[in-house]
Amino acid sequence: MTMILQKMANSSSLWLKADGPEAGIVFSCRVRLARNLENFTFPPWAKDSVMKEASEKIIEAVSKSDYLKQAELIDMNELSSTQRRFLLERHLISVEFTEGGNYRFLVVEKGEMLSLMINEEDHLRLQVILSGLQLMEAWRLSDRVDDQLEENLNYAFLPQWGYLTACPTNVGTGMRASSMLHLPALTTTHKIGDILKSISKLGLVARGLYGEGTKSEGDFFQISNQVTLGLKEEEIVDNVERVTRQVVEQEKKARQVLFKRNKTQLTDEMGRAYGVLINAHLMSSKEAINLLSKLRLGVYLDLLPGFSIRVLNELFFLITPAQLQIKEGKELSPFSRDELRAKVIREKLSSLK
Amino acid sequence: MLCQICGKREATFHFKEVINAEERELHLCEVCAKGKGLSESFFIPSFSLSNLMAGLTEFEIPPSQEIRARCPHCGLDYAQIRKKGKIGCLLCYQTFKDYLAVLLEKIQGKAYHSGKVPRKGKLESKEQRQIYKLRKDLEEAVRKEEYEKAAQLRDEIRGLE
Repeated sequence: MTMILQKMANSSSLWLKADGPEAGIVFSCRVRLARNLENFTFPPWAKDSVMKEASEKIIEAVSKSDYLKQAELIDMNELSSTQRRFLLERHLISVEFTEGGNYRFLVVEKGEMLSLMINEEDHLRLQVILSGLQLMEAWRLSDRVDDQLEENLNYAFLPQWGYLTACPTNVGTGMRASSMLHLPALTTTHKIGDILKSISKLGLVARGLYGEGTKSEGDFFQISNQVTLGLKEEEIVDNVERVTRQVVEQEKKARQVLFKRNKTQLTDEMGRAYGVLINAHLMSSKEAINLLSKLRLGVYLDLLPGFSIRVLNELFFLITPAQLQIKEGKELSPFSRDELRAKVIREKLSSLK
Repeated sequence: MLCQICGKREATFHFKEVINAEERELHLCEVCAKGKGLSESFFIPSFSLSNLMAGLTEFEIPPSQEIRARCPHCGLDYAQIRKKGKIGCLLCYQTFKDYLAVLLEKIQGKAYHSGKVPRKGKLESKEQRQIYKLRKDLEEAVRKEEYEKAAQLRDEIRGLE
């Protein structure tokens, strides 16, 4: 198990490559499908023996799927809490899964674009993450994998309510489609609040990590569908994609305005961010994310020759706490992590010169 | 600002979620955020406030009468389902159909599934297929405000059910 994780820690997820449409603003997009088995109690209420049998059935179906038969199977019970955190940081498992538990598995394809949680809140949680804004592609892929799995599984389904899930907020399509956006310009110009509010009136959910006042925390936001019942999957995807596109256009405009009006100020900020990142010997997660977010905007505006969005995307994930510890092969104190984080960043940035 | 969980330490973790123009914010200190698995991590896509806040508000619909029924498969009663906010199995959906219909309408709007259908014949019975199609037509008729047609369709559906 340790070997598999080590190998993952030494390479970056393929969806960080920034080769998708609008990748300068849309970090990634994700489709998740929730499914349950017909004659089995759903995981929140299931006894161990039921969870065991359900997991065996699903693992068998996985081994017969062309898409997943090469995938790694990871038993949550065989992992330390740091190892589980590592999978959370890589967007492969949920917070609930980091608590471990019997008969809970992660199935993950090479490249980490396709993965499956077994016995989370639902028996199956299939996930596709792609670079940039290509939700329709993500849906099509998850649809095909779902078809293959279904050849060997009987899903809990009722005609009027669709796919049945443990939580009524997922019933119907069982689908959550989301995009993760990097919106530094809309945040700086304080337009983000209104935009998030208007998004939420369209039956979508907007959420984000944010800082108080001027302290931004990376300026990342997520847009996803709220309703899962009554719409076709394509309609859900289309809604999220359309709204995301509108926000992308607004962010683009805001970036251009910032650039025109405050070029000197922006260039100064980039230089300072870069200066701190390449010279610091102690770097907290928060500070690093803030500074990298600035550079990410700088790359988009061509203020940082030699950099690419891809390198920055990967850096965000190379410096997370569990990633650092898995790569180092041991537990590290917060102080040692800050030290190692600064070193990883210095090395990466120097290699770009 | 103090942490909303412990109420003692300074909140350094700020989270915001907007659903239906309703903003919800969560402010936690490092310790409590860590306890929830959230600190120092770079944006977790599957995370949501509703998952975090215990007790789903959606389940707070008071049942009009005492519900005695238990699900014949997993043995749950509706009170248990409400308390945990999680449904037990396919048969729960059928056993508590009327209550769940109200609940689902509140969460999802008045709607029938119109997305993907498993290939392996979940709609294999002819009646089911027919009812499904009629329901779709009914929705369409209501949308187009063709009420006469809608009434007709509704009667047809009732007849089949």
